[in-house]
Amino acid sequence: MAVAEMAAISAAITMAATGIATAWAEKVVGGATVGAMAEKPELFGRGLILMVLPETIVVFGLVIAIQLLAIAAKGP
Amino acid sequence: MLRPERMTRTLIVGPREKLASTIETLHAMKLLHVIDHHGEDETFRIGKPLSKASELSESLVKVRSIMNILAVKEPPKETEQVKLEALRQKILTLELNISEEDGTRKKIEGLLSDLTRRVEELRPFATLGLPLDIYRGYDSIAALVGRIPRAEATIAGAIPDAEVFQAGNVVAVFIAKGRAEPASDTLSRIGFSQIDIPKEGGDPKAMLAQTQADEAKWRARLEEVQGRLEKLRERYAGFVVAAQEALEVEVEKAEAPLRFAVSDHSFVIDGWVPATQAKDVVSRLSLLDVHAEASPPPKGHDPEEPPVLLNNPRPARPFEFLIHLYSTPSYHELDPTVFLGIAFPFFFGFMIGDVGYGALFVLFGAIALFKLPKDSVFRRLLLVTGVGGLWALALGLFIFGEAFGMPFHAPPGHPEELSWATFGVNIPLEGLIHKTFDIDDMMYLSILFAALHLGAGFLIGFANEIRQSKKHAIAKLGWFLCLFGIFTLLTYALRWNEIALWVWEVPLGWFPRTIEPLGLSGVLGVTIPLLSLLLILGAFLGFAESVIAPIEVAGLLANIMSYTRLAGIGVGKAAIAGAFNGLIIEDLIFTGDIGYLILGIVLLVLAQLVVFLLAWISAGIQAIRLNYVEAFIKFYKGNGTRFRPFGVRTKQEV
Repeated sequence: MAVAEMAAISAAITMAATGIATAWAEKVVGGATVGAMAEKPELFGRGLILMVLPETIVVFGLVIAIQLLAIAAKGP
Repeated sequence: MLRPERMTRTLIVGPREKLASTIETLHAMKLLHVIDHHGEDETFRIGKPLSKASELSESLVKVRSIMNILAVKEPPKETEQVKLEALRQKILTLELNISEEDGTRKKIEGLLSDLTRRVEELRPFATLGLPLDIYRGYDSIAALVGRIPRAEATIAGAIPDAEVFQAGNVVAVFIAKGRAEPASDTLSRIGFSQIDIPKEGGDPKAMLAQTQADEAKWRARLEEVQGRLEKLRERYAGFVVAAQEALEVEVEKAEAPLRFAVSDHSFVIDGWVPATQAKDVVSRLSLLDVHAEASPPPKGHDPEEPPVLLNNPRPARPFEFLIHLYSTPSYHELDPTVFLGIAFPFFFGFMIGDVGYGALFVLFGAIALFKLPKDSVFRRLLLVTGVGGLWALALGLFIFGEAFGMPFHAPPGHPEELSWATFGVNIPLEGLIHKTFDIDDMMYLSILFAALHLGAGFLIGFANEIRQSKKHAIAKLGWFLCLFGIFTLLTYALRWNEIALWVWEVPLGWFPRTIEPLGLSGVLGVTIPLLSLLLILGAFLGFAESVIAPIEVAGLLANIMSYTRLAGIGVGKAAIAGAFNGLIIEDLIFTGDIGYLILGIVLLVLAQLVVFLLAWISAGIQAIRLNYVEAFIKFYKGNGTRFRPFGVRTKQEV
């Protein structure tokens, strides 16, 4: 398979995998946060911070996907 | 403005008979943050509540119970003015009235639930129609009465030598006592569930009719009572709410001595007063012949940290709630409200970067400013995103040249793209960056903002630490140098991009370009500016903080990359809006069919609404996250106590 196609597929895999990873991590954190907030509503701020932490994963995925797409567009 | 309001420790001493009047004055002034006395002293014990406290709390409990019975939840539009002296009498009368009605209501409700149960019990027997005496009084016959799941199933054939009565799904089986058990097994296999036979005798149909008549009668009575309670609520809701408020204030005052130190003849109140108002408090109290003394907090770390009252210029104040949401600053550090107040709206605006949405955010912000109540969370949320909307408007107009996800003019080289010009709307501004085609520009700008934001964070951290610990201050400086090193390295590496090249050539023009130290050009095929490498080693100044600190260089790099979410959200939002616009406008609106045109316009409005809401949520959360997670951990400690002066009623914060 040509490099351009490989790069495009890799970009798709990167986005999908990091998206799933983020979702999974946020599911864990989100569940725990809601539980903690039921006991102490003032934890909302801290909970929000923890909740959005895993989004970095998908942001990194995006950066890598964009790099890969640049390869796909230009060729090797 | 960058520091919380300065506080003075204030000690108030006076004879016990002045206690009540002192409390009254302090409560009215609302300036003293009381430090609770814990009573570890032999002479000065914890004070006892004023004599009127028990009577007041009793009234308060009564008012709350009345509120509960009347189900008063929302404060009515008009609350009455109440006089404290007349309050107790009025509450007692009202309680008498209401508790009588409430008692009646409860009794009727109990009775009704009994009657309902009785109806349920009699109903199957009424359907069968046999007199109740028939079911008992036999020596050798047993009666099994119950329900079966399906009315059409016939029992008669299933059990030999038994007399079976069936009406719908209710069945009565009369059978010899010796064979009752196997019969009952057979029955339960087809889902028969037995019911108890009422104790009394008589005609079940007549009994059911009688019970139902009783039930209807009592239900009417209940409605009457509820109607009366409803009238009482309408009439007294205003009074009850006002009375509760007044009593809560009075109880707080009467119970205040529990927080003070009191000896046999005197009292001592300890607390913090904003330094600017200390003189005022002292002079007001001296009018009462009570001695007060104010002194600034001692330097260094006091076990009793002063409470924190943020002191920001008016435009920055709406952002204070975002700081408290994270953590109240400590008294000794810089207040990051202004830092957040600049960075948050800018990041928000950069991610939105659209004239149309920006204008909507500004509009909502303006509505919130003038129409919503001051303490509403929504008002503050809409205000901060409104300020972000101003940036979105400006950037959308001059940098991105875009409104509602559609560029003003088709980007160069892509004439097929929809733009406002397609509709004949000619805006004499050309977008400098086209989000979906100039992703590399967006990425580099994100890195540039990361460097500025984090750099400012390290500098604030340096200013915070320099007065506390030189070691930590040096570490912050080291990190600042390291950040600068990484930034120059990235700029150098990305200088194929126009903006990066400009930054490398102009603002960083002075930066040494030596990339061939000792003739080591291109080791491993990579060239890097020497100074960048040396600056990154600045992280080793972090040794002063912790031995493993230098490992954090990778963490800092990850922090910088994390800012590319600014580009990610910006491009993503533009792409979603562009896709909606393209699909709906080209495939529905441009078809020329009137039906499709109307459908297209409706869908377009809905799609824009979705994009707007998504943008609001994602840009808002990401902008606040960059401040909370990436920047604040570089310098901000928090954990301060909020200034809560005696006399200010605290409401539940979000």
